[in-house]
Amino acid sequence: MKVSKNELMAALKKAFEGLGFQPGDYYDAADMVVWLETHGFDGFDRLQAVLTYLNTTGPVHADLVQEDDHHSMLDGKGTSILLCGSEAVDLISSQVMKGSWAALELTNCYNRTFILQRLVKAARRNLAFIAYWRQSDYCVKVSITPGAQLPEYQTFTMTGEFDSQSLRIFSGTDIAVIERQFSKELEFGVFLETYTAEEMLACYSASVEQGIEIDEALWHTLDELVARILVESTDSSRDGAGGS
Amino acid sequence: MHKDPHSSANSTDESKIKLLPLRPASQVMQLERLGSFHQSRLSFMRTLVRRMVAENWQITSPLFDLDDQGYGTVVYEVEAKYGTFSYVLFSHYLDPENRNDRVIANQWDLTMALCEGTVDAEQLEFLRANVPKQEAGRVDSRVLVLSRANRSARTFEYVVDELSQGRQPDVDVIAEVGYLYRTTAAYGSGKLGMADWEKVRTKHRDFARPFAAEMFTCYMLRHFSMQQADYLAAQRGPETAVTLHQDIRRYLGIGNSTGLGMAPFLINHPLLINQWIEMRETALATAVVASEVGVDKATMARLDMATERVIQHLGEIITADERQKNSNVVVREELQALHLWLQEQAADLAITHYVWADLIQYAEQHWHIETQEVINTMLIELYPDLVDGLEEQMGTEESQQITPEMSVADLLAIIEDKYDWALAIDFSKHESMGAFWYRSQEKMEPRLGQTNIDMGMEKEMPLAVGRRVRECYDLLQHYNKTCPEQNVAHFIMQCPNYSGIVARIQTMAQSRYGDIRENLVHSDVLPIYLLRCKLSFFGVSKFDPRSRLWVRNTMFQGAPLISDFGSANADDWQFPVKPVIRPL
Repeated sequence: MKVSKNELMAALKKAFEGLGFQPGDYYDAADMVVWLETHGFDGFDRLQAVLTYLNTTGPVHADLVQEDDHHSMLDGKGTSILLCGSEAVDLISSQVMKGSWAALELTNCYNRTFILQRLVKAARRNLAFIAYWRQSDYCVKVSITPGAQLPEYQTFTMTGEFDSQSLRIFSGTDIAVIERQFSKELEFGVFLETYTAEEMLACYSASVEQGIEIDEALWHTLDELVARILVESTDSSRDGAGGS
Repeated sequence: MHKDPHSSANSTDESKIKLLPLRPASQVMQLERLGSFHQSRLSFMRTLVRRMVAENWQITSPLFDLDDQGYGTVVYEVEAKYGTFSYVLFSHYLDPENRNDRVIANQWDLTMALCEGTVDAEQLEFLRANVPKQEAGRVDSRVLVLSRANRSARTFEYVVDELSQGRQPDVDVIAEVGYLYRTTAAYGSGKLGMADWEKVRTKHRDFARPFAAEMFTCYMLRHFSMQQADYLAAQRGPETAVTLHQDIRRYLGIGNSTGLGMAPFLINHPLLINQWIEMRETALATAVVASEVGVDKATMARLDMATERVIQHLGEIITADERQKNSNVVVREELQALHLWLQEQAADLAITHYVWADLIQYAEQHWHIETQEVINTMLIELYPDLVDGLEEQMGTEESQQITPEMSVADLLAIIEDKYDWALAIDFSKHESMGAFWYRSQEKMEPRLGQTNIDMGMEKEMPLAVGRRVRECYDLLQHYNKTCPEQNVAHFIMQCPNYSGIVARIQTMAQSRYGDIRENLVHSDVLPIYLLRCKLSFFGVSKFDPRSRLWVRNTMFQGAPLISDFGSANADDWQFPVKPVIRPL
């Protein structure tokens, strides 16, 4: 079945609310899923993968374990980027605003591809970001220039050891400066493939024009989560709605 | 972010606009004032009608397939300036016992869809299978709006009977109701698989303003309602029937009942509401500035005529609501005083600098809040050339964003400045948290419950902005004492559940009008003010509150007909009054 972007956003916000997310968190999480799905990053598959976890634990946020003027380390405590991605990006953004550059490592977190939407949104404030993480046996690198609507997304072979559940983010005001400043950290193996801005844009345009294809089972799952925030209707509650 | 007409050039002269004396948020954003707004030139029905008339949209009906009871299918084809659209309508038999205007209803007299392009046989069958089901069906992204309507039990049969016997209906009977059909919902913005607002905004310029497509759907319902009445009259009295008189047609609108479903929208879209209000206030300030060196006689006379018309309009409203009834009486009396003032002192007023500023100030000091807002909307009406350009700025991007580098001390200062109204509420009092909003299992209908009496408090909708601000403020104060050097990013690391309200506070602090200044969970909260505020921006008239939770009103009453498209002077339909029908 097909749903519209607005409809999907509304359903996701309520579904995340049903999972115990607070306002702010459920807005951000819905934004992340919709952005990935509408730009061709399999947002629904990634959502399916995380729903079981979210359904069995209360919302968990990351802890700040170490920080100086330019570096910070967060412990994701096994949670999803849907819950800790915003605070990580906010933290590194605040450091760049204060000191022109910053680096952040978020350990022990899952669903890192969702960070794309948070980085794109933060880049609107004239910040540049480079982020990378290990995805099974390859590495994903994402670069966003200040104000860019879309990221550059590339994959490389792995070189050296990198924790399988970590995410590293570097930020400044100029992407070339970040590349130079963190050249050692940004050394990757052989380039594998890229997902171009044109492909992302084409996927997004099709989503807006024709709607978004969603598996009926997933839509049903979202409905069930939404049902958790609904209150049983009674004769007395009908009076609380007004109407004839 | 949204455009600021006060800092950037637009259709109005930039140097003048910087001087516009905009009313402060502390005055405008009071809920009672918002609930006293009336239709203005910037209301969505008005701007839609102006566009249709000026661009002379062509509307035909390639399919008009009704049986002798008026049931069947009608397709209207709409040639607008930039595109072609189809308005598809299904007319069904409805047992009067099942006629229910509530959101929770599941059968209606009419169901409709506004679609892009033309509709072929296959799509028509798809629509026939889904549109009558409304929320229980699914449509696709070719559909812009889905809507439904119920007949007025009081007027429809009466009008058809009269017409079929060769008589025009009594205008007094028409005036009591004002319409033949009531719309009970008009869904757009991607609900039920429809086209996203983003698609409508970017692809269909004809409907690229907020709620334009939804308003058009209601306008076409009005057109059909009269066409169906004529059709049925001709069926019943082929030898005797007459068609509705043009003046009665213009006077007929569409009924509407609006309940709590509309209320959360105003809280969940604060940037959009801020934009609407800022444009309305800019229009008012533009009118004030236009009176800088006085006002010419013709303008003064137009205001006087408008005043008389509002007096008559309010006198013709029938409502059982005591508060509204008393308000209408008071407003009429005060407008009578305005009328006398304009009559007696026209010559002096014409040369008074900023005469409208004086009038507004006098009204604020002496007259009822609803009179003040009636006067304001009449002043806006006087200057179409100066204010109509603002209609292009009624939309905005709605993204709330945290400013993480802001110091906690600065955020505290912002709350003290912009949310002083929230900090002034004593939430330790039971009545300050005496109500809560929730969504019902029945079609997710928003409802208002009483704390500790009704079920569902644990599933409360997050509409209590003031209370949330207060909680956040208290936590920030504590955090600032223990970690005075830290910023908002660190605060959110400590208190992640407050990221939403922090984003709202920081975002709205950059807007001119910000949030609605009311405790929406107070025991005595009047949600009807929220409804009226939004309905005024839609452009409805004849408010008839049925309780503090819902209000009846009419849409497009007095508006030009399709046959008026292309003609000049068709835009003068604010505060419609009963027509005087002269025998042909």
